Amino acid sequence: MLRYSFELAVHGLRRFQKSTVLVVLTVALGLAASMTALTLLHVLSADPLPGRSQHLYLAWVDTVLAKPAGGLEDASLNGIKRSNYHRIKLADAQALLTAHRAVRQTVVADMVADEVSGDGKHAQSQQLILATTSEFIPMFGVSLRYGRDWTSAEDAARTPVVVIDTGLAQKLFGTANAVGRSVRLRNTLFHVVGVIQPFATQPRFYTLDMGAYSSDGGENLYVPYAAALDAGLVPAYSDGCDASFKSLVYTPVDPARCASLGLWVQLDTLQQVSAYRSFLQGYVEQQMALAGFGKKPHSELTGVDDWLKQNDVVPDSVRLNVWLAGSLLLLCMLNVAGLLSARFLHRSGEVGIRRALGAPRRAVFLRHVLESGLVCLIGGALALPVTLLGLWILRQQGNAFSGLAQLDPAMFGALFALALAAGLLVGLLPAWRVARVDPGLCIKSE
Amino acid sequence: MSLRIHVSILRRQSLMPLLVLMQVALACAILCNVLFLTWQQLKPMLAPSGVDSSNLILVDRLDASGGRWRAAEVRAGVQALREVPGVRAVGAANSLPMVFGMIYAFGMQGPTGVKVGVNVYAGEGLVNALGIPLVAGRDFLPGEYCGAGGYGSVVRPVIITQALARKLFGKADAMGQRVADPEQPAGAGYRVVGIVRHLLRNQLDMATQGRADDTMLMPQCMGGTPMPLFYAVRVDPAMREAALRGVRKAIQRRFGARLSAGTHACASFYDTRSSAAFKSRRAALWLFAGVALTVVAVTVIGIMGLTGFWVQKRTRQIGIRRALGARRADILRYFLAENALIVGIGILLGMLLAYLGNHLLMRYYELPRLPWSYLPLGAVIMLLLGQLAVLGPALRAAEVPPVVATRSA
Repeated sequence: MLRYSFELAVHGLRRFQKSTVLVVLTVALGLAASMTALTLLHVLSADPLPGRSQHLYLAWVDTVLAKPAGGLEDASLNGIKRSNYHRIKLADAQALLTAHRAVRQTVVADMVADEVSGDGKHAQSQQLILATTSEFIPMFGVSLRYGRDWTSAEDAARTPVVVIDTGLAQKLFGTANAVGRSVRLRNTLFHVVGVIQPFATQPRFYTLDMGAYSSDGGENLYVPYAAALDAGLVPAYSDGCDASFKSLVYTPVDPARCASLGLWVQLDTLQQVSAYRSFLQGYVEQQMALAGFGKKPHSELTGVDDWLKQNDVVPDSVRLNVWLAGSLLLLCMLNVAGLLSARFLHRSGEVGIRRALGAPRRAVFLRHVLESGLVCLIGGALALPVTLLGLWILRQQGNAFSGLAQLDPAMFGALFALALAAGLLVGLLPAWRVARVDPGLCIKSE
Repeated sequence: MSLRIHVSILRRQSLMPLLVLMQVALACAILCNVLFLTWQQLKPMLAPSGVDSSNLILVDRLDASGGRWRAAEVRAGVQALREVPGVRAVGAANSLPMVFGMIYAFGMQGPTGVKVGVNVYAGEGLVNALGIPLVAGRDFLPGEYCGAGGYGSVVRPVIITQALARKLFGKADAMGQRVADPEQPAGAGYRVVGIVRHLLRNQLDMATQGRADDTMLMPQCMGGTPMPLFYAVRVDPAMREAALRGVRKAIQRRFGARLSAGTHACASFYDTRSSAAFKSRRAALWLFAGVALTVVAVTVIGIMGLTGFWVQKRTRQIGIRRALGARRADILRYFLAENALIVGIGILLGMLLAYLGNHLLMRYYELPRLPWSYLPLGAVIMLLLGQLAVLGPALRAAEVPPVVATRSA
């Protein structure tokens, strides 16, 4: 019976070709709009580091010796929100790293500097550098291509070593295997000990201060933070500084007195998480000097997922577009339901005869639901190129994140699921209506 | 024909009108919100710049290799730019319109207690260099210039826009009045020495809801600080291209050797920069236009398709009415009225939906409330669309000859 219903459905589609084309186009349009918006949302809100991110936490203790952020009226009058990327000061970072209470722990800070090859022949200006510790590479699952990562002994000895990515190696040395060469940062020569595959999670959740998404990758050079500080490099960002540090606009950040380092820890079990949480709180409660500034001892431990939500990493406009596209799809589906009803009821005479000849309601219903499902599947197939076009247009917009708008297999599958679901849903009402046709009345009126 | 008859006919065959009604409601809700979003995007693009935008060259990305420019270097730069043929005026600044390397966000508090967030353009000789006509008061005097943060307890002279003056002082005259700094209400504050008609702020996202002109000018000596350095150069309209080349050459000659490694200064016209700054807004506008057009097209197709079928179904009924003496115009009017009735109910529902939708969006995103005026706007558009869509089927219905009544369908 299914096969027969299917044949009838195909036959029905062929009968009013103009209206079929109209319905298919409407379906394609609605689906393509929704898929374009959903794909962008899906890409931007995907897990930045699958398999690892659920064990990573950002630890924060508020030890800045200053009154709780006041004097922000100018900023709030101008709609500027004060950012707080949960950075800590150098002494706290060192103390918490040394305590070694987590499975792994590392600090991160973005720095900006010119990268010059050891022979001085090639240079990349104003590049983003990640100052961190030896545990960053194993902790974040960065894959080494050549050489090795640096050791904790080199961290402690403040040895000027760096790990660079293949892209930078190619630009500075003309070869991916740059192990043994050196890079000059400011006036210090750093020895290249390893080369990694370009590592840029999207978003770069571990440092959000230089923008969450970057189409052109992020940092291309990784350096022990102690050695970087020795070379005169400074963190590019700070949450705030001690009251004793008179910071003017454009004054370089002083990591000893400014909260500028992010402390990431790896905690594998819930017990470890709660143990680390109480360790952090205990640590900040020992900071007696804070009371003088009217501050309560405050610590936070935030998982990657919560961290991204807290910082509103996915742009509002992207979500807004999903709402818009979703309501457009709903409108298209209502329209299709209307057109299908008109088309189905148009042949109520034929349906009446079939019913009189013994076709059960079920068969009539099935045939019409199939027909609408078929229409929506064809619409879905047509929506694929339109979606690709929509994503191409998105990529032309030049936002930091727009380069990421690509269709992946999961979304490809979602498109067809959506098309099929829409088709069946849309067909239900008209099919039910036509199945209720009274055979007697219809034949009489024909 | 009375409303009662319309309604009773609609009630007998309720599926079709119901579908039309729902479509209209949803389309009206989407259209109201999209029109509103479009206007929000368009507002900063339509706001007057206040400056001589087509003849204004802006220079930025002058990164000193030592981190700061000396005052003498800044002055030498001004001198070099003045000597370029076609240049009419030059100003050095920490912050400029359409330059986003530095944005000053200050607060101002008027005598009534009203607080306004403003953007500030600070530098030397900006009124002349930007080409802003003063509508009242005067330009800054040479003795009023001072280094950043160098005023201390001295009142800072400022030039504000008409819109800002109205916000702070209402109908009263703003000239010579004192404005407080909301962060230090007891401090020296500012004194208004001049008023300009328009000056677009450089926080473009804030240039909506009447805030585009919340901007002021402040005198400031340049050089000796780590603040960025920009130049504003106004040129002769007849020599725009030659002057731009000259400015680029002069900048390269003056500053090239002192720029930090690998950086390049950038000199381009205000118009070029504003068109780049509005690029993502233009993209959003295209998107909204596409959505609005799709909504319109889908609704028209939907109404046409449904009404067409419905007219066909009632051919015999129409024939009978024609035979009983109804004129063509009566039939036409009947279908138009019926459509207006259905669409009207849909619109009422749609306005409610639009409002609820906006409320929902407001809760999650930073979006202002949908003004009431958008609801009737969307309603009128939907009503016109409905009448347009029904015209074809209604005309076809009016063409039905009375003789149809005598035939069996």
